[in-house]
Amino acid sequence: MDLASALQRHTNSSTKNTRASRQFFESGIVIYRNNAWHKLGDDSWQFLESLALSAIDNGRIDIAEGCLDHLTAGFPGSSRVQCLEGILKESRDGPEPALRFYQQVLEADPSNSTIWAREISVLRKLGKIDLAVDQLSKFADTFYTDVEAWLELADIYASQHQYTSALQSLSHVLVLTPQNPFYVLQAGETAYSAQDIPLAMKFFLMAIEMAGDDNDDATPPPPTGITMRAWYGVELSAARLEADPTLATSSPSKTRAPEHLPRLRKLARDVINSAQAGRQDVESEVSSRWLSR
Amino acid sequence: MTPRAQYRSASVPSLYLDPQIRDWVLFPITLVMILVGVLRHYVVVLLQSSPSKLPRAAIREQRALVRSNVLRATSANSPIPLHFYQAISQDLSKAFAEGTYLKDGPPKQGEQQAPPNPLSDPAAMDGMMAGMRTQMVMMVPQMIVMGWINFFFEGFVLIKLPFPLTLGFKSMLQRGIQTSDMDVRWVSSLSWYFLNFFGLNGLYRIILGGDEGADATNLAASPFAVTPQVGQPQDFNKLLKAERDHLELAEGMHKWIGDDVETRILKRYGRL
Repeated sequence: MDLASALQRHTNSSTKNTRASRQFFESGIVIYRNNAWHKLGDDSWQFLESLALSAIDNGRIDIAEGCLDHLTAGFPGSSRVQCLEGILKESRDGPEPALRFYQQVLEADPSNSTIWAREISVLRKLGKIDLAVDQLSKFADTFYTDVEAWLELADIYASQHQYTSALQSLSHVLVLTPQNPFYVLQAGETAYSAQDIPLAMKFFLMAIEMAGDDNDDATPPPPTGITMRAWYGVELSAARLEADPTLATSSPSKTRAPEHLPRLRKLARDVINSAQAGRQDVESEVSSRWLSR
Repeated sequence: MTPRAQYRSASVPSLYLDPQIRDWVLFPITLVMILVGVLRHYVVVLLQSSPSKLPRAAIREQRALVRSNVLRATSANSPIPLHFYQAISQDLSKAFAEGTYLKDGPPKQGEQQAPPNPLSDPAAMDGMMAGMRTQMVMMVPQMIVMGWINFFFEGFVLIKLPFPLTLGFKSMLQRGIQTSDMDVRWVSSLSWYFLNFFGLNGLYRIILGGDEGADATNLAASPFAVTPQVGQPQDFNKLLKAERDHLELAEGMHKWIGDDVETRILKRYGRL
């Protein structure tokens, strides 16, 4: 790739917020080798940062170090550069030295949220789950509006089979972003794992309602993506509630089981079937076998 | 005024300005004011201390109210069932009552709750000093320039506006000249200074880009503005305690959107 087209590409791609490390690195390295990153103007620093990250992704520590040197010279003491330095340390020296680096930075500036978040992720990577949970709870308590912190906390709890705690974290996520059906679906799946079947079913139905289109007159189109997953969830929960009616009354969150259970189950089966109709692949076969279990 | 005098002042120019005034007074004053403005901008930039970093406890205290606001905003169409809502809401309410979120920890029993003194908090002090410094940088050069003009060019008439004006503009355009008869179109040196003082902001914005520190009409920075009230530090203890009532109210209005979601879905698919 020649320099001109690489430059052209990066002036255009800098606005996109994607992380295609491989492609970014391949064109970015041309600019870097030619020392042409100044030509990107205001974006040049951001380009260096992105190049360093993509270089780390591609295992080219030498390039990342070069970028970091330029950035450190440009912004001495910047917390953003420090974060990049920490990521580089994680990749090059392993988690323990990086953790020491993060702790050192945090000692000087305890409220640096990016470094704090990285420290927590390293703690989790090192398997110090208790410490990570402890820190992450403090983090989420301080920076309450950080949705990703709550999601991460829910993920850690779920990985430890603490589904009730995970559900509590997810309830904060839902309060913070009530408009995101993906989180509702995740809450539903977590509630299912926590044996709160009525709640799970409600969440699945909410996810379907939120992700569906707003066109009221037409019959809804066959489900795709997360709605499909949510319909499977509805079918599964409805089947379990029908098989074991005590589940409906033993909900830990005292959620009332949905009414019209048979109708809902029938609807879920019909919707799933309609999505698989006319398809002759493994997925439809598995799906139909599952429905006739 | 006799009819003859009236006739004279209307037809023959009564006053001629030496071109030297233009070259050695009008242009220098304008130039000096522009340069001072630019210089002041850079001094302000230099003086701006980086925002002091808040300790974790202070951030937590500041954002405690956000938590309850976020929660309350969702209560009428809540994404979470009452069980979870109550858990969060009552937890917050309890924490507010006990003062868990306060930066300095819960207040001690029986301790007199005096409003915090802004002078005792070093962080608030810093903010005040920064404001005063900026104000000094704004004021001192203006005073010097004004003194310079007053000392050297007092009573000078600098330009004649190319359009007629009513008498009401006399005090605005002929400051420092005590003649009642002179045509309002003549502008005195001191008035030229004031015209520049308020009129150059647009130029600064072009030269320096953006609405920058040199902008003298910037309320906090203008020497003519009332000294801005030093921000009274908020008494978070009181704020948080007051928030408990709101929380309780919102809890009463809680309605989970999942309550009748199954009927909505069934209706949508025509099964009900």
